[in-house]
Parts: sequence; C-alpha cells; structure tokens
Amino acid sequence: MTSALISAIKRLHITITPQIRVYSSNVAAATSASTNSLSITKKEWAFQPEYTKPREVWIENLDTIEEQKLGLFELHPSVYAAPPRLDIINQNVVWQRKIRYVSWAHTKTRAEVRGGGKKPWPQKGLGRARHGSIRSPLWRGGGVAHGPRSGKSHFFMLPFHMRILGLTTTLSSKLAQDDLHIVKDLELPTDEPEYLAELVEKRNWGPSVLLVDDTDYAPRNITAATDSLAHINIMPVYGLNVYSMLKHDTLVLTLSAAEKIEERLLHWLHTNTREQSKEFKVNQV
Amino acid sequence: MATVWRSQSAFARLFAGKTGQILNNATDLGTKLGPGSQSAILARKYSNYAHSPFVTRVKEQYEYEIVKNPPEWAYVQRLLPFDTIPAVTPKESYPSGWVPPKEEAKSLPFFLSRTRNHEIPIYLHITFRGIRKITKIKRIEGDIWLMNEEIKSYLKEKNNRYVETRVHEVGRFIEAKGDYVNQLVEWAHSKGF
Amino acid sequence: MGSRQITEKSLSMLRSLPRISLGNIRDNPNCRKPAKRGRAQHGGDKHGAGNKGSGQRQNFMRLGYETGNNPFYLRVPQEHYYRGHHLRREYPPLTLHELQRMIDKDRVDVNQPIDIASIVKSGIYNFFPDQKQFGVNLTDEGADLFTAKINIEVQWASELVIAAIEKNGGVITTAYYDPHSLFLLKNPKKFFESGQAIPRRMIPPPDAIEYYTSAKTRGYLADPEEISKERLKLSQKYGYNLPDIQKESNYQMLCERKDPRQIFYGLEPGWVVNLKDECILKPKDQELLKFYNT
Repeated sequence: MTSALISAIKRLHITITPQIRVYSSNVAAATSASTNSLSITKKEWAFQPEYTKPREVWIENLDTIEEQKLGLFELHPSVYAAPPRLDIINQNVVWQRKIRYVSWAHTKTRAEVRGGGKKPWPQKGLGRARHGSIRSPLWRGGGVAHGPRSGKSHFFMLPFHMRILGLTTTLSSKLAQDDLHIVKDLELPTDEPEYLAELVEKRNWGPSVLLVDDTDYAPRNITAATDSLAHINIMPVYGLNVYSMLKHDTLVLTLSAAEKIEERLLHWLHTNTREQSKEFKVNQV
Repeated sequence: MATVWRSQSAFARLFAGKTGQILNNATDLGTKLGPGSQSAILARKYSNYAHSPFVTRVKEQYEYEIVKNPPEWAYVQRLLPFDTIPAVTPKESYPSGWVPPKEEAKSLPFFLSRTRNHEIPIYLHITFRGIRKITKIKRIEGDIWLMNEEIKSYLKEKNNRYVETRVHEVGRFIEAKGDYVNQLVEWAHSKGF
Repeated sequence: MGSRQITEKSLSMLRSLPRISLGNIRDNPNCRKPAKRGRAQHGGDKHGAGNKGSGQRQNFMRLGYETGNNPFYLRVPQEHYYRGHHLRREYPPLTLHELQRMIDKDRVDVNQPIDIASIVKSGIYNFFPDQKQFGVNLTDEGADLFTAKINIEVQWASELVIAAIEKNGGVITTAYYDPHSLFLLKNPKKFFESGQAIPRRMIPPPDAIEYYTSAKTRGYLADPEEISKERLKLSQKYGYNLPDIQKESNYQMLCERKDPRQIFYGLEPGWVVNLKDECILKPKDQELLKFYNT
C-alpha cells in the first residue's frame, strides 16, 4: 500500500510538491534515520535555487534486497535539473573518445615503397605513357598519395564550461529518467556477487550499474562483490564523467557523493573561471 | 666538438671523487660568495673550468625568524583570490546603476536569472562589420513564448515600429534584430529580474 | 508554438523516452557544415584561391606595402606623436563608473585601501605586465556619479579623477611599480606559492620621476605638505568643499600608504609568506636587512 502510494507520488513529483514537509536541521539526521520513519531534508545551499524548484529524491539502502526508503533528499536544480541538452552530452562523449585516441593507420609513400629508383622506360620514342618510377601512386603496388600516416593524435580540449555543462546535463537527464539513485552508503551484508546481482535485478536497475562514492576506498563487501561482476563498477567522485554515466544503465550515488558533486559543480558555476577558460595549449608549462 | 669533449673530460677527471667539495652549485652562487673568495676569483679567467678555484666559504642559510599566526596574516588573506564570486550585500543606493534583483520576479511565469557576476544576461552581437546587430537575451527560464510576446510589444511601444525577434527554445534565448540592449535591460529591471 | 515550461517539460518528456545512452545521442541537426569538395570540370583545380601570387600562397604583403610604390604611410607627413609608441609605458584604463560598479557589487572592499592587487582580484579588470602595461589609468567616465569614499592607489590619474575622489572625502595616490612587482600584484597567490622572498619595489624610470614626485598628480614620492596644499587648491579650482579627513571615523585607513620600496600592503620586502603553514618568515640577518632596506 505504502509502496504504491510512494510510486504514485514519484510519478507525479514534477507537478506536485508535497504539502506537509517536515524539515530537519541537517543531513546527519537524515542519514541516521531508522527505516520506519522517513526523514525529509531541506538543504541550505550557498547559492539558493532561484526559479526552478529543488529536486527531491528518495534515499535508498543497499543492505536489503527489497528497496527501503530511508528519507527524502533535496538536490540543487542547477546541477540535477539542468535542461537536457543532448548535443552537449554528445560533444562531451566525442571529446572523451577523441582526447586519448591516436590513429596508428599507416601507408607508405612512393619514397618508402621498396624499389622504383630506375626510370621504367625512356621518356620518348616508345609510344607509351611517360613514367619515372614503378612506385608512383598511379601504379599497382605503388605508394599511396595522401594516405594516413601513423601517430596522428586526435587530441583537443572541450571548453571548460562545456565540460561542466556536460556533467550537469547528464546528471539531470539520468535523474529525469529515474536512472539516478541515491543510497545511504555502500555497505552490503555479504560479499557474494549473487546478492548484488539479485538486488540489481529486483530493483530493475538494468544490468550495468555505476556506483559512485565520496571516498577512494569502498567498503570491503562491495569491492569483493563487484570484483567478478564486470557490469557493476565503483568510481570515486573525482572520476565521474559523462561517458561512464552513459555507458552504465543506472547511476547510484551515495549521499555524500551526491553532495560533493553538487558542491563542486556549484562552485564552478559561481566562480571566476578566467584561468580555466583560457585557450588550452598542449605544450604550456 | 672534439675540443669541447676533451675539456669536459679534463674537468671530470679533476673532480673524480671530489664532488663533495663542490659546496654550492645553485644558480645564485655568485651572490653567496664570501668577500675573501670573490677577490680570488676575480683575478682568474673564467674561460676554463679547470682553472677556476673552488668555492671557499658559502653562507648556506641566512638567519630567519619564523612567525606563526603573524598579525600581518590579514594582509595576506586580503590578497588571496575569491573562492566564489561574493554575493552582493543590500545597500540603500547603488550609484553605478546596478539594480539588485527583486523577490517578486520569482512569481512571474517567466524568469531571467542573473549571471555569476550579478549582471543581466543581455548582450549585443555585432556581425558583418557592424551591419547586423542582434540583441541576445540569455538564461531564460519558464514561459519563453510569453516573454517573447511581452518583449515584442514593449519594443514596439518604445520605438513605434515592429521589432523582429527569434526564440530558441533549446538554447533558452531570445534574439531581437537591432540594438535594444539598454531598452531591454530597462525592461528587465522593471520586471525585477 | 512550443512548451510553456522549457526545462520542466523537457525533463518530464525524458521520463517516457528511451534511456539516453551512448547509442542514441547525437549533435543538433545541421550544426556542423561538412567540408565540401568541388566536383566536375573546374571543381578541383584552384579551390577558390585563384591563380598564382599571394592569393594562392597566402603570403600576404606586409601592411602598408604597395609593391614598390612609395607607400602612403611614408608619403604623407608622419604622425610624430606616435613615435616610439612600442617603447612607451601603457596604462590600461579603468573608468570611475566601473570602479563604482565594483564597489556596489562588493568586488572591492572600501574599508580597506584599494590598490592594483585588489582591483585585479575583483575579476573585472585585467592587465598584462609583459606587454608594457604598467597598471591602472583611472579615467573620468562616471565622475559625476562616483560617490564612494576610498583610499585608492593607481598608476595614472587625471586632474578630474583626483577631484572626483577627493570631493567625496577620499584619498588618491599615483604610484609606480616596475613590471616584476606588477606580476606579483597581478597574482599574489602564485607568487607566495613559489616560496620566494618578496622583492623590493624599484624606483621609477627617469621619464616617470617627474610625474610620481609631483604633488599635483598626487605622486607617491611627493611631499605630503605639498599634497595637502594641492588638495585645497584643486577643491577651489573645481568649487567643492574639501572634507576634513582627520575627522573621519576611518582616518587610519585613509592614511595608510605603502613604503616606496613596498609592494603589498602590510608585507615588507624580504619576507617569505608560507601559505600552507600560515606563517611568515622574516629575515634577521643584518646583511639581508640592509639589502632590503635600501
């Protein structure tokens, strides 16, 4: 009954804001809430949302297979409700693909193909076309004119704010499509991969899941469980990127990771980025 | 090349097993030389390393006083850059013509959010060597079409002529043909953005 | 006609659409114009560059060169006031209006003395010491609306600007900084992180000595007695009552000046600032003290 009600509210959460809201003072209260009482957190951001309303998400758990709602959590609309610009997402993905791609395709020019030093036949008097080398690009077995030469870097730098917008846009579209979940922490009761696979299956998170935590070291159970599951991966906050978010079906953030991401992106959206927006030079010191 | 190599090897031979004697090979060697050693060096030629004398006395460390929590630290903090652009504290008047955003603007069906520098995001784009002037209103939220209609009627009333505008829904901006930056900023102030 | 709520509508539309993944994203249609290659009889021959010469080879003649004619810029009488322009000091302008806007938006603190470091810190003004730019030229645009009471140090100011600031009970000084000091003032954090000792400020070059020792221009090397006389003179010339700054509550702040050898307020040459441990290293060695005090 409650789950039906919750899912109904979840479906309507864009149009209806809950009438009764209990505000607790800080986030610590939300994290320490027991399973049977929902805690609803209103956050005080350094940069208050102006027009768009903050997004509300459930805080879920990972320690049982069935989903339990531990509380409600507010997310800043500048980061988690940005307009879904697919073109910006695409440009970020193209950038991530190209930045480290080096093309090793290679062809030989007429100078590098073996032989061809001698003039095949005299210039005049034979009634044949004039040729100077049997390795000319016109000849079969000759060199290639304007062919690919190896070691061609495709490196380029996307403008700084396109990268920031790429992150906010992808996070927002993930949240809008119900593919972003906030969990309290990454503690599992067991280290068996079957448990995690069943949990993902049961909660309909799709086969591939990206877990993002604030810390460099994830808890032991979840690292052991995801070790053999190639499609469930763990990542620290500073590694979060557009490509990985799109590669995985579902993005699971811990509460602290969601806050950290929000804080960092809000910082860059409200700071003087003259240094960061400078033209990128590869050989600069 | 050969001569250079020979001199280098002679230098290396001279220093074999004696590298501990080179007291200071820092870039500011000259400034740290004692007065006695300097006169000795000045009498010699620098054309060959092998002829140059060893450094006799080097002042390795000048005396410094390390002050923890100094009273001057406020002066240092004043110089450090802003972490984020500071919010504007309310004042009685703003002589420069900057107008703070009003609270009632948030209840309008459309909204124009300020930039990170607390300015109204209305810009003039001049192209084709000054032939084409386009006024661009960015960062629009809410009902962009209603805002477009209001802007059109406002500009028509002000200028007694029809002003062409263009709405970009995905990019969330409106462009007006012509230079109407000042008029539109005035309009935005009147709405409280 | 489209939707009424751009962001909300598009985000709610996404809920019923397939999951955004690497396989179904793309750029906006027609946002990139493909590079075209001409075809047919004359499509591939010159690519629009013409035949021979600078058009084809992109080796354009230098500006003003007229292929052997006596060029125009040498034929007509020269503009002598531009002579040596590439050697002269340049002072990028900052208007009083912009300064007032910075103050209104709390980008500079009027309760502290303002110098070029705090003006650059605001993020609204920028300059490049390596391009022979020697600091702020405070210009008189917006002199009528300027109302702030400040203690400001700039590198160049006109008489009207000095009058506009002193009318409000403020204090203005013109001070010279050598390019090395200006690099430090432009990015103090970078300098402190380098771990070097704060150097001395150099004295002005011979052609700038006159400006910076003159009381009329409020030079930092001028006699304070002369300056107070000139303040009174200027108020009589422009017809305003000179406010008595000794009665101001922030008289201490208004009196704050840098030493001619000092680059940062409150920090002496020779000190090393350690940002990590929040401590300052002060020299005690007589040799160093003598060096930094001369």
